Amino acid sequence: MKGANGKRRGPLGRLYHGETDIDFLGRAKLCAAVSVLVIVAGLGLLVARGLNLGIDFEGGTSWTVPGDVAVEDAREVMSSFGVPDAEIQVLGGVEGEQLRVQAEPGADREEVRAALAELAGVDSAEVQVTDVSPSWGSQITEKALRALAFFLVAIMIYISLRFEWRMAVATLVALIHDILFTLSVYSLTGFEVTPATVVAILTILGYSIYDGIVVFDRVDENARLLASSGATTYSTMVNDSLNQVLMRTLNTSITALLPVASLLIIGSFVLGAATLQEFALALLIGLAASAYSSPLIASPVLAWLKEREPRYASLRNRLEGRGVPLVATGGTTAAASPAPADEKPELTTVTNGARTRRPAARPAPSSSAPITPRPRKKGRRR
Amino acid sequence: MNVRRRLILPLAAILVVAFGALAATLAVGNSPALGLDLQGGASVVLQPPDDVDDTAVIDQAIEVIRQRVDALGVAEPDITRQGNAIVIELPGVEDQQRALEVIGQTAELRFRPVRAVIPPAGTPGAPPTTAPLVVTPRDEDVAEAEVTLPGEVEGDEEPVLYQLSPAGALGRDVSDAQAVFAQGQTEWSVLLTFTSEGLERFNQLAEACFNAQPTCARGAVAIVLDGTVVSDPTIQEPQFASNEVTITGNFDEEEAKDLALVLRYGSLPVQLEQESVSTVSPTLGSDSLRAGLLAGALGTVLVLIYLIAYYRALGLVVVLGLCVWGALQWSVISYLGASQGLALSLAGVTGIVVSIGVTVDSYIVYFERLKDEVRAGRSLRSSVDRSFKRAFRTILAADTAAFIGAFLLWWLTVGAVRGFAFFLGLSTVLDLVVSYFFARPLVALLGRRKAFTSARFLGVARGTARPDRTPAGARP
Repeated sequence: MKGANGKRRGPLGRLYHGETDIDFLGRAKLCAAVSVLVIVAGLGLLVARGLNLGIDFEGGTSWTVPGDVAVEDAREVMSSFGVPDAEIQVLGGVEGEQLRVQAEPGADREEVRAALAELAGVDSAEVQVTDVSPSWGSQITEKALRALAFFLVAIMIYISLRFEWRMAVATLVALIHDILFTLSVYSLTGFEVTPATVVAILTILGYSIYDGIVVFDRVDENARLLASSGATTYSTMVNDSLNQVLMRTLNTSITALLPVASLLIIGSFVLGAATLQEFALALLIGLAASAYSSPLIASPVLAWLKEREPRYASLRNRLEGRGVPLVATGGTTAAASPAPADEKPELTTVTNGARTRRPAARPAPSSSAPITPRPRKKGRRR
Repeated sequence: MNVRRRLILPLAAILVVAFGALAATLAVGNSPALGLDLQGGASVVLQPPDDVDDTAVIDQAIEVIRQRVDALGVAEPDITRQGNAIVIELPGVEDQQRALEVIGQTAELRFRPVRAVIPPAGTPGAPPTTAPLVVTPRDEDVAEAEVTLPGEVEGDEEPVLYQLSPAGALGRDVSDAQAVFAQGQTEWSVLLTFTSEGLERFNQLAEACFNAQPTCARGAVAIVLDGTVVSDPTIQEPQFASNEVTITGNFDEEEAKDLALVLRYGSLPVQLEQESVSTVSPTLGSDSLRAGLLAGALGTVLVLIYLIAYYRALGLVVVLGLCVWGALQWSVISYLGASQGLALSLAGVTGIVVSIGVTVDSYIVYFERLKDEVRAGRSLRSSVDRSFKRAFRTILAADTAAFIGAFLLWWLTVGAVRGFAFFLGLSTVLDLVVSYFFARPLVALLGRRKAFTSARFLGVARGTARPDRTPAGARP
């Protein structure tokens, strides 16, 4: 990371110094195509086969027996209770194995419990039992779906009030993408959907919103600058904003991933805690989906919506007429915090007067250009 | 000096609050209450049939269950109503199967003639110490048997015991009961309405009691709900012509309403369905707890190593910030555990582990902003304030959204999701508090220290990627 002024840095150095110029929007179409492909395949399979719902949603009984029990022996026991098709699974772990048996509703909870305990040679209190009636399962599902709907509506309202409706729509598209993407992965892989999965998906939506807001906050700020300079198109500005916050996005993803990865490692390899494993798996899939959807789905949607506004459409026409390059121009175009710090976040401050002003015809600085000093601002608090 | 004081004050305040609270928590011996899945125990979700939607009746059902659970001697039972469902958590219960059986029984209301009333020993009117009467165990308390049952008590009082004959009428004979304050009367009474069959049965009872036959030597009928004598009104007429019977007895409004509720509850066969049962053995519970804590610790250490490597001295600010955050979190959870019975479940632990990421993100937003400012040619010292202002706007917007989400989840769901949402929401609020009262003043103070900004290995300037060789504060 030497890079004295004017010298070109390596890719990592540029990342560290916020000087990347990745063309996110240019790749949006490709990404959209990939996402649509996964989602269509996933949902197709979902319709054909359905999700592998856990007993908490469908009803049923599950017994978890500690100790080294052979699957065949457990199956024999279950057959003697008239449940030959029970799902039997060994949960690993350094500290000894556990056997999990799941059956449809109807099996006698306590008798099976006693029989399995005898098989494993443990006290029957050591056998963990979960018994859920089908009606309760469907209530849980219904409540979770209802909460999700309210959640999305509330977030839409909040973003519309705090920023603007176009950003709310862009966020919604990204969120729906995340949900469908995660569902598709579950449908394609046949992983079991448990309450832990639902919790994880909801968490991811939280992350996704958080991430989106950080990006949009920067876009919002730069949009105000753009309104007075008119130097680039809205899309380019969005792309620059993405590059500016790229390191933040990466750092956040890494720091979010580290705890999740440790949940997964501890949960599945060291201690064999099934619930932790379920959480971590869903979180991992969802984090990947949301890290990708925020720059590559939400932001392009926002740019697309904004370019339809007459103000930005005419700006684009003018710039195209003049032959200003409209590709990504590096993260330092609109350097840090151009807006006065105490400016109120009003969305209507972008005046139309900006349009009459001639845009400064300075060429967009390339990433290797010396750093443009930001003009001294008045009205600083002291 | 003034500026410094403005910075030191909140910093000192939050340190005192956080570590003071932690010290107090440790001194009192509070620690977070553990949920079932972490310490073992049994949990049941009971639900009345769809057509029962009288909340007072459901509350009465909960009251019955609470008494049964208390009788079982479970240390810290947690019985809550979530919507129409009754969620019962019995941590550390020894005989899970028996507990579930006892809770699952439907409570029956019975009218039993009173043979004798025995005040507790040591009070006036108590019998000379002969063989003490034994309260009939629950298993033998059936409608057809002669039983000895206690009356209602408050606190640790010894109950009055009632020797009772077989039940003459049952809850299903009651069609309604209301607390009334009739005109021309001076006190509250309960108007009990029988079904026509019920009235016949009750009249047989009344006749026997009015004549003080041996089965009803006291001339009173005990109203028994779930093994407890709720009331024992004396019968004053041999026959009741109308199916409306009035119970009087110096009731105040609350007592009358309570009695009416017991009768009404008894009239409905509130057959609670076991919707979900789960038991966790103590061994598995503590294994899960260990795994959760281990994963949390490992995750935190990895995150901190990464941040220190990336942000140098500013990374140390995150370490300290997380300590403050952790102290607050621990105190709040312990306090809520002790006062509200809030139990930390595995989902809750996961929520906290996950929220480490969210918390750390606030610092990242701030530090990246700081880097931007410094890169744009400002001195670190002057960047600190501006960048915090901008970053806090972002953090506030993002945390608000996260909090709205967590609140809705907590409000609208049941079970694991609910516990998770609570801890996520709590962490979000603490995150805002810590970034405003801790990270802001600390970074501002450090930004004023030359030793800190330019030290070779701890250099904040390096961490903030200052363009090389630009002297602090200089502008091109």
